[in-house]
Amino acid sequence: MERNREQELSAALAALSDVTRRAIVARLSQGEATVSELMKPFAFTQPTISKHLKVLEEAGLVERGRDAQRRPRRLKPLALKLVDDWLQPFRREWEIRFDNLDRHLTTPKEK
Amino acid sequence: MLQEAQSLDAKGFSIDRARNALRFERELRAPAGEVFDAWTDPGQIRLWWDPTGDPLGECEIDLREGGAFSFVTRAHPDRPFTGVYRQIDRPALLVFDALGAEGRVELTEAAGKTAMIVEIICADEQHLEQFVQMGAAAGTSRTLDNLVQYKG
Repeated sequence: MERNREQELSAALAALSDVTRRAIVARLSQGEATVSELMKPFAFTQPTISKHLKVLEEAGLVERGRDAQRRPRRLKPLALKLVDDWLQPFRREWEIRFDNLDRHLTTPKEK
Repeated sequence: MLQEAQSLDAKGFSIDRARNALRFERELRAPAGEVFDAWTDPGQIRLWWDPTGDPLGECEIDLREGGAFSFVTRAHPDRPFTGVYRQIDRPALLVFDALGAEGRVELTEAAGKTAMIVEIICADEQHLEQFVQMGAAAGTSRTLDNLVQYKG
């Protein structure tokens, strides 16, 4: 439903408005990772990382993998696709504009 | 190493969330001086600005730092693209404020072609959202191809 999509999108954007959480998402985009694997590059304590992961999970951006022992986190691509889809019309408009510019520049001048 | 959540696909579009910027990279088949003029000469910009391909209904340019510009499409006379030039450095750089965002056009010429980087830099995350939404409202059809592909 459209309203749910709006809410999901807002939640995803809000979660991504934090620099640490964006870095976590960037790390997870290269593959799943456990909390302790995430702790290393960020130099944060386990509760801090867990807090950020909780926000990302609630926003539907991150989920837990199947391995019950390690409990790795991974990205949920669909939530990020929502953000991308939202950008799409904007992006297309500018790209068509630049296609026009290139065509204009390569058209022989009349003068 | 740690990189920002950022995507750059084959066509050269990326979101720099650290700077709240949207970035387009393009190679154009003309020297930088010609590209710069296409951005700043009203007679030229009116021919390519509107994505629909129609010439602009109105196009006013006061090309000096602090000077204003206004591009008005025929389809949406109620939604002009207006702003003020901040930096004019032909042919390498054009900086303007428009609709509350900063626009930067950087041109680098090599072998008769020009690498163009266009950035739209918003004040904060909320503004980025608003800016995209304005563009989307004026936008074209919605296509659902993926911007980013995640390994996994």
